[in-house]
Amino acid sequence: MGFPLLSLIIFLPTAGVVAVLFMRDAKTIKWTALAVTLVDFVLCLLLLLGFDTSTHEMQFAEERNWIPALGIKYAVAVDGISILFVFLTALLGWICVLASWNAIETMVKAFMVSLLAMQTLMLGVFSALDLFLFYVFWEAMLVPMYAIIGIWGGERRVYAAFKFFLYTLAGSVLFLIGIIVLYFQGGRTFDILALMNADLAFVTQAWLFFAFLIAFAVKVPMVPVHTWLPDAHVEAPTAGSIILAGVLLKMGTYGFLRFSLPMLPEASVYFSTFMLILSAIAIVYGGLLALAQDDLKKLVAYSSISHMGFVTLGIFALNSRGVTGGILQMLNHGITTGALFLFVGLMYERTHSRSIADYGGLMKVAPFCSIFLGLFTLSSMALPGLNSFVGELLILSGAFAANPLLAGISILGAVLAAAYLLSMFRRVALGSARVEEQYDFWDLDRRELASILPLAVLVIWIGLYPKPFLSIIQTSADHLLTQVHDKEGAE
Amino acid sequence: MNQAQLLQSVLVSLPEIVVITGACVLLILSLFVRPERGYILDLAAIAVVLVAAALTWALADQNLLVYSGMFASDRYSAFFKAIFYISTVLTLLLSRRYVEIERVQRGEYNVLLLFALSGMMIMASANDLLSIYVGLELMALCTYVLTGLLRREVRSNEAALKYVILGAVSTGVFLYGVSLIYGLTGTTELDALATAVTASQRDPGLLLAVVFIVAGLVFKVGAVPFHMWVPDVYEGAPTPITAFMSVGPKAAGFAVILRVVLNPLLAATDVWIVVAVIAVFTMALGSFVALVQDNIKRLLAYSSIAHSGFVLLGIVAGGPDGAASVMLYLLIYTFMNIGIFAAVIAMRSEVGRGEAIDDFSGLSRSHPALALSMLLFLFALAGIPPTAGFFAKFYVLVALIEGGHVTISVIAVLLSVVAAYFYIRIVMVIYMRDPAGKFELAFTPGLKLALAIAVVGTIVIGLLPAWFLNLAQMSVLGG
Repeated sequence: MGFPLLSLIIFLPTAGVVAVLFMRDAKTIKWTALAVTLVDFVLCLLLLLGFDTSTHEMQFAEERNWIPALGIKYAVAVDGISILFVFLTALLGWICVLASWNAIETMVKAFMVSLLAMQTLMLGVFSALDLFLFYVFWEAMLVPMYAIIGIWGGERRVYAAFKFFLYTLAGSVLFLIGIIVLYFQGGRTFDILALMNADLAFVTQAWLFFAFLIAFAVKVPMVPVHTWLPDAHVEAPTAGSIILAGVLLKMGTYGFLRFSLPMLPEASVYFSTFMLILSAIAIVYGGLLALAQDDLKKLVAYSSISHMGFVTLGIFALNSRGVTGGILQMLNHGITTGALFLFVGLMYERTHSRSIADYGGLMKVAPFCSIFLGLFTLSSMALPGLNSFVGELLILSGAFAANPLLAGISILGAVLAAAYLLSMFRRVALGSARVEEQYDFWDLDRRELASILPLAVLVIWIGLYPKPFLSIIQTSADHLLTQVHDKEGAE
Repeated sequence: MNQAQLLQSVLVSLPEIVVITGACVLLILSLFVRPERGYILDLAAIAVVLVAAALTWALADQNLLVYSGMFASDRYSAFFKAIFYISTVLTLLLSRRYVEIERVQRGEYNVLLLFALSGMMIMASANDLLSIYVGLELMALCTYVLTGLLRREVRSNEAALKYVILGAVSTGVFLYGVSLIYGLTGTTELDALATAVTASQRDPGLLLAVVFIVAGLVFKVGAVPFHMWVPDVYEGAPTPITAFMSVGPKAAGFAVILRVVLNPLLAATDVWIVVAVIAVFTMALGSFVALVQDNIKRLLAYSSIAHSGFVLLGIVAGGPDGAASVMLYLLIYTFMNIGIFAAVIAMRSEVGRGEAIDDFSGLSRSHPALALSMLLFLFALAGIPPTAGFFAKFYVLVALIEGGHVTISVIAVLLSVVAAYFYIRIVMVIYMRDPAGKFELAFTPGLKLALAIAVVGTIVIGLLPAWFLNLAQMSVLGG
């Protein structure tokens, strides 16, 4: 076991929490938080550089006994599935600090503490290799997220925070029961890798699949347990929305990839059509809802439901293109939707309005802002040459192989996305300049540009040359599929 | 019993003797200490508890049955006594300022607490229905008086009266069960009793007797359907006493229940079905009724009922893991519940303040440190990781599922989601409302220390539960 780089990445923000707790001055606190998240990001780049794409094995593994009496370990590692989300979390981490720089005026210390705590927990979720450890990270996240929505949110923040908390908690307690059942069925271990080899009866698998499904479906969110999402997104402050859309939603789909598929392969195959149907419903229904929104944040929120539907569609196509595309699309969605929420936030800071009707002609007033907004809008609707196109193409070609009918229906979602996103962009950026008359709307400043540029670079990079990202994913995704199909074939 | 046995008996029960003697000395001492130097009495009481704790520590590894088999000294009782010591010391630390504000006689207060402690200790060690009864009554009588200590307050009087009457009924029921047992089997010793019950499982008389005994004990832990006293007594009693009752006497009740019900022989019967029904109803009632409370003491009373239900699930689970999960839960509960009560007491800078939940509005702005620690305790009580409260619940669930009770555990976690709602509602009041006005906190060094101990306990057991888990597993009866 070498240098514990991964643990350092996970717990550096915790150290930041402790440091910030002893500070008084709001400015020092902000700079400390920014420094901590930036260092964390740099460490993450080191992690990416040292990552070996030729193997599906876990890398940067660390393991220590934690609660030996129950076989619980502190075990973390990354593979091709998780490393991109560790990277995404670290990237959005400092962007969130920047996004909250002026937007958060009250209780700055508590906000930065919540933000940094969130970062530790999110990184922990993506790297945990012990189910108990995973659950601790997963569940503990509720506390800072509840605070972020409930304290610094909009008008109906308390309602949204409660809804978020209770939905997620209700989902995850059944997951907890599932974990414990799995512990006993799988030979008294919480070791995720060992549990992947456990040979479970089909009935057990089916029950566990549903226990897990409830927890993950709430997080993704899949229709019909999606109703917390628009409330939480709309009320949360910008940083909260970015975290929610960028990282939290990915945890649901990550859960499918890490637990449901490899541990419950037969049930996953058996229920895959059911999952595809749910995904297609989410894609079309989310798109239709987005089409009807006047609130910018709600529009992006509902589009998330639709886009995450594509991810689950890809995953449960259960073939190489589908899964690879699904994982890439998780990354894409984090980048693009994170950026869109960033834009909604910075526009709101200037006009204090989220209603599309209040905007218009932004292109004349703030050309930079509009161009970038246009870029991310196009990325979100999967324009060829931008990141989401690669992901959605892979997903749809995978889905066609699995179920042509549902894939065909899902394409409707892509059409809808073009409709609501282009219409949004037209009404906000084009036309006569209505913003200019009412508000003092200044173009992007350096702080905002700094947080947007890396996202824009990634959008174009993945769109034009996705190979480095795909090669990270490919090996692990293929291994995952052998885990699913081997077991099924062996029966 | 010959001379040597008597000597051994006295030696083994030294912790109890120390506490009782200490209480008597303290009673006399309190006559000579001037009111403004009242802290001396607190320190003396704490010293007595610490001496007893040291003796218990020294005796912990002995596995002895003394006083003709009526009194056991084993790791099991030592573990419970540790819980009692912690809750008593924390209560003593909490009480100072509250006692001054409410003008309670300090001498009697500390002495009664110590006597209650000795009663609980006897309960933990008792191995005979009669010695259980002695400990139970000693503890109960002291808590009756402590509940009514606020002589000028109607609520306190009412609570004490209610507690005495209902408590007396429950003791009567318990005693009636004991007399039936004695009449049917000719013994009151637990082991002999278990043999008799297992041998003639369907004897309706015996069954009735066991039901009576269980009913009497369940009253003490505030489980449905014997929970009616809890909200009124918790609300009316002086807040430090409420804190004490919610952890100490409750743990003592569980110590006895575990010894009676988890006796390996008795465990072979179907008693667990009865306990399971009681547990589920207790959790449901506590969780749902707490939703509509606006007095924090009443809310915590219902929360404590819900927690009792969860602990009972550990008994349903049975086996060494079930017993260990009960014990660990009670230890963790001691820290988090005394912690939340400490925060409530800190709010009471004048008579009447800090009882309505609305009094906590905007506490995060005016007193961020206290708000943060309350946040910790509330999430611990709700069972959110990485606090100790999560591990307590987790281990009970592990034991339950190991025993094959998956359905019950699903009901339990769903009810704990309901419970989470009222805990995070308080968090909401503290963090998401604007302050109602300026006020001072009634902080004393003792209160701060108690709060710090509770915070450390809640965090450390949550992050590093291994050592405490081993301790609980080692202390299980027959383990």
